[in-house]
Amino acid sequence: MLSREFEFHAPRTLGEALELIAADDDVTVLAGGMSLMPMMNLGLVKPSKVLSLNHLGVLDDVSVEDGCLTLGACVRHACVATDPLVLQHCPSLSAAARVVGDTQVRNRGTIGGSIAHADPSADYLPVLAAVGASITLTSSIGNRTLSAAEFFIDVMFTAREPSELVTAVSVPVQPHGWGASYERLARVEGSFAIVNAAALVSADLSSATVALGGVGPRPVTLEMASYLHNGVDDAALIAVGDAAYEASEHATGDVMSDGEYRRAMARVLACRALRRAVESTVGRSR
Amino acid sequence: MKATIEVRINGLTRTVEVDTRMIAADLLRDELRLTSVHIGCATGNCGACTMLLDGSTVKSCCILAADLEGQQITTIEGLGQDASELHSIQQAFVRNQGLQCGYCTPAMILSTLALLSTNPDPSEDDIRHAISGNLCRCTGYHFIIKSIEDAARQIHNAEQLGA
Repeated sequence: MLSREFEFHAPRTLGEALELIAADDDVTVLAGGMSLMPMMNLGLVKPSKVLSLNHLGVLDDVSVEDGCLTLGACVRHACVATDPLVLQHCPSLSAAARVVGDTQVRNRGTIGGSIAHADPSADYLPVLAAVGASITLTSSIGNRTLSAAEFFIDVMFTAREPSELVTAVSVPVQPHGWGASYERLARVEGSFAIVNAAALVSADLSSATVALGGVGPRPVTLEMASYLHNGVDDAALIAVGDAAYEASEHATGDVMSDGEYRRAMARVLACRALRRAVESTVGRSR
Repeated sequence: MKATIEVRINGLTRTVEVDTRMIAADLLRDELRLTSVHIGCATGNCGACTMLLDGSTVKSCCILAADLEGQQITTIEGLGQDASELHSIQQAFVRNQGLQCGYCTPAMILSTLALLSTNPDPSEDDIRHAISGNLCRCTGYHFIIKSIEDAARQIHNAEQLGA
């Protein structure tokens, strides 16, 4: 039993939910609750009003339209991991969803909740940065769409206003032949990533993006194509690793892994993600 | 603040008044006396509070009771048709000594049930992956994994006999 009283709202429509947060900027939004509920149980978060998104009956669809794969904010990780449209059009997002937390967490947690929580170690963040995702915020006035770079501002701090809900995540459909990957370093399965990395590359390597998580307050995105003129040889991987190391200068540590260790691991994970992405391209002569 | 919810628990539809501060595990344990649901950590790590929510395993410490409106819950008390006979997964845990103190066991068995419903012939890797959200501090997992392998075999054999 939680110690502090709070108002609980579980509206049946998105409109009701938006009205509630339009009128009151002190509402804590509850989606899957996989981050919020532990924090409430520990007394770290003591909301006065909780708005559950679990009964809206919307925001739980995956669709493809106009070259964009769109996931409603309430799509649960288990669905992101297995949905055929996500597997086909953004395989690195499926790969990230498959390793979020554990089975129980994936059955309940949502992609929108994870994004809105914006833990710098979250599995989705580097993927969204690497594939050029956009995040839709909805208020009673209307929608606005931000890039991942605009949305993620700092540790657990995003561009979402109190009157807005994260309602959807869209990613460009991965072009045919391109390769993508997601890699994470963690102590054991189910623990938060220490460093994670996602990559997206074209078959001819004229485009090669690597994004890193866990090495600063927000995902770090790097363009690596300029190192790959001769393919993914040793020299290229050294350059990619160096770029990852340099870009991770804001990495801060915890008791298990200090900032310098994270930077060293960023070097490794960036190379690993890039190599795996290149291996998954189609129609490229190796 | 109070809320009235209707939930289907172990096959019975119940209308219950809950305090909105209640987590699902409180409702199951304290109100409905389904004490197989154990609270180990209340932070979503240990998995001892696992329940089936609309057929999927979730951690009942991380869901508000008031948020369960209209949903179906199964705990280990609802497993099998007859309380006098253990479910074949439970029998496999007994046979292989897949438990010591027993605190994690109901949740382990629900995770096994969820695993075997989608993957009737899991590899050891599949099993380890499937129970990674259930901590056991006694067994070292070895006999739990043996139990799950045995349960899969027994269920497979029973189906063969049935067919």
